Amino acid sequence: MSNAFFRNRWLPFWLASPQLLVMFLFFYLPVFLAFFWAFHLERPFGGGSQFVGWANFQRVLADQEFWAALRRTVVYMLLASGSSILVALILALAADRAVRLSPLARNLLIWPKAVAIASVGVIFLFIFNPFLGVLAPLNEVFPGIWNPRINPLHTWIMIYIANIWSAIPFTFIILLTGLQAIPETLHKAAAMDGAGPWRRLRDIQLPLLTPQLFVAVVLEVADSLSGSFGLIDTMTQGGPGGATNMLVYKIYVDGFKAYDLSGAATQTAMLMVVVAGITALQYLFLEKRVKYER
Amino acid sequence: MRFPKTAALSAALMTAAGLAHGAEIEFWYGNTGNVETAILDACTAFNAAQSEHEVSCVGQGGYEVGMQKAIAAYRSGQHPVLIQFFDAGTLDLMLSDAVVPVEELIPDVDWDSYIAGARAYYETSDGRLFSQPYNSSTLLFYTNKTQLEEAGITETPETWEEVIAAARKLEEAGHECPFVTDAHPWRVLEQFAARHGLPIASKHNGYDGLDAEYIFNQGLIAEHLTNLASWREDGLVKLNPDTKAGDYAAAFNSGECAMMEGSSGSYAAAKKAFGDKYGITVTMTPMYEGHERHNTLVGGASIWVMKGHEEAEIEAAKAFLDFLRQPEQQLAFTAATGYVPVTLDALEALKASGKADAPEFATASVGIDTMNQPATEDSRGIRLGFYVQFRDIFMEETQKAFNGDQTMQEALDRAKTRGDELLRRFEQTYQSAKLN
Repeated sequence: MSNAFFRNRWLPFWLASPQLLVMFLFFYLPVFLAFFWAFHLERPFGGGSQFVGWANFQRVLADQEFWAALRRTVVYMLLASGSSILVALILALAADRAVRLSPLARNLLIWPKAVAIASVGVIFLFIFNPFLGVLAPLNEVFPGIWNPRINPLHTWIMIYIANIWSAIPFTFIILLTGLQAIPETLHKAAAMDGAGPWRRLRDIQLPLLTPQLFVAVVLEVADSLSGSFGLIDTMTQGGPGGATNMLVYKIYVDGFKAYDLSGAATQTAMLMVVVAGITALQYLFLEKRVKYER
Repeated sequence: MRFPKTAALSAALMTAAGLAHGAEIEFWYGNTGNVETAILDACTAFNAAQSEHEVSCVGQGGYEVGMQKAIAAYRSGQHPVLIQFFDAGTLDLMLSDAVVPVEELIPDVDWDSYIAGARAYYETSDGRLFSQPYNSSTLLFYTNKTQLEEAGITETPETWEEVIAAARKLEEAGHECPFVTDAHPWRVLEQFAARHGLPIASKHNGYDGLDAEYIFNQGLIAEHLTNLASWREDGLVKLNPDTKAGDYAAAFNSGECAMMEGSSGSYAAAKKAFGDKYGITVTMTPMYEGHERHNTLVGGASIWVMKGHEEAEIEAAKAFLDFLRQPEQQLAFTAATGYVPVTLDALEALKASGKADAPEFATASVGIDTMNQPATEDSRGIRLGFYVQFRDIFMEETQKAFNGDQTMQEALDRAKTRGDELLRRFEQTYQSAKLN
């Protein structure tokens, strides 16, 4: 480190120490403990923990439920982040085009950000209640045509809609700011050359929006992993029949409801590796296609 | 200045606290609703009855949450003296080395006063009681008398054959939900197996060793669960998600469903919801014809004393446990909740009071009756590791069967396999621990 700013070489560390301490206590220490427990058989009330080497990993890797949960997690990650970014992009494009009422819409679309994900879950659970919700009249006519409590497909539809609703505001703001930063002159020049709206979207707006899209993808992918917890816990508890049991929720259930601390820690360690890997891939491959210069 | 005033105040408070001889202790419980009210009433009564000790009762919002918090609190040395734990966590606690057996702690109590059905669940295989039974419930059969009579059923069904015959009559009479259950293993597996004298796992449900294996995927138990699935196909049995209420007890209470198997602890809420609109009947749960009836298991929860507290605190804990054990306390609790009194002296007090037939004690005699049926080695209780997790697995697999993704037999086989894996891991985790 160059000491241009600080004459005392320890001063930067002192200044950073509160932050580092918090990071250590609430991030590095739990991560370390997770890896420690992953190699031990740990009793819930402590005492008698014994080193078992890779046995926990072998057990988890041989467990079909783990692979099923991981598969669901990856599919959800792709579909949830993809669908919420796509919807937010469409809305941002519309708001940017100065269609009627777009100033109002820009304001309204930010509101869902103020609702906690668990509340979103409870609200949508009620909206999609097969007997009392918006689709209840449909059930009156065709009994059993909509029941997210039993039919896994219906359950997933319900979760995706709730997720999109709650994920829109943040992505929407990022994308809208990006769109509004694109100079008007480019649009005008392209229009004079005879490019229609679709052409301008493809050749001007999207390429110039890549930095914002990249940020949105990275954040949404990470958020779809952790944010799914609140939705699953309030809406389905992993059901029906384990159909929506994703890895984060499975870890919680294994660790806190079933007192299997070692199994939960092992899966946490593996999830961390997966997330780190996915984020690294995003930076390695996706970021290369991002144009930061305008 | 503000600071000295606060300091003086806290100094005064500390002196005041120092003057009292006893200790202030915490008791963590998990129940909510009318049971929580009854627990808090008991705490208030205890604090009012004597001035030496002070117990503050802290609600945790649920049994499982309470257990989670207790584990975290114990690991960081912040745990309460007394804590209520639910039946399924019994073995985890016995092996935890975090609790003191009540029989060891308070040896001079007549623990044999507890009826056998309630004792067996919480004692070691050599008969030492680990925790004091508190809100003891068992499984009972509830019917909506009014709706059954409207469908022409005058006798409360006693066997599954009669239950299904009644359900068909109700269905023919246009009733949409004759029988409701959530298919929770406590209802459809554990209590069913116990009263039919069948084990769900070898080694007498694990009482004789950690190397037990699940064996419920055969015989009458498998038959019964397969029946449940096919009765649901026929519209005779409904599950939680099939009901408007979304919950079996709520569906019964609202009159949506006519019959259910439910905890005796559900009685007060059902009675209140029925009001004058419906009559209610509570009886022993149905048997299959040609099988001898054995006892049902005690459910609900018991109170455990946790290790690592000072003498004064332990004294306070003992005093509170003594207080709760008194017959009049048990009966007040029963009257408020529908939980069952479980000591002989409480039963005698009930008989002596002449209120045994009063509606608020409706579950007491039938509850005791069903828990006092002839016991077998397999109807003592469940002593299986990671049992809470097994219950989730059982629910998950059977739910898939009810949804039609697999047959009930496949579901039971898979639940057995996954359950056995849990048992083996539990065995390994507690390799060095001895249940003494």
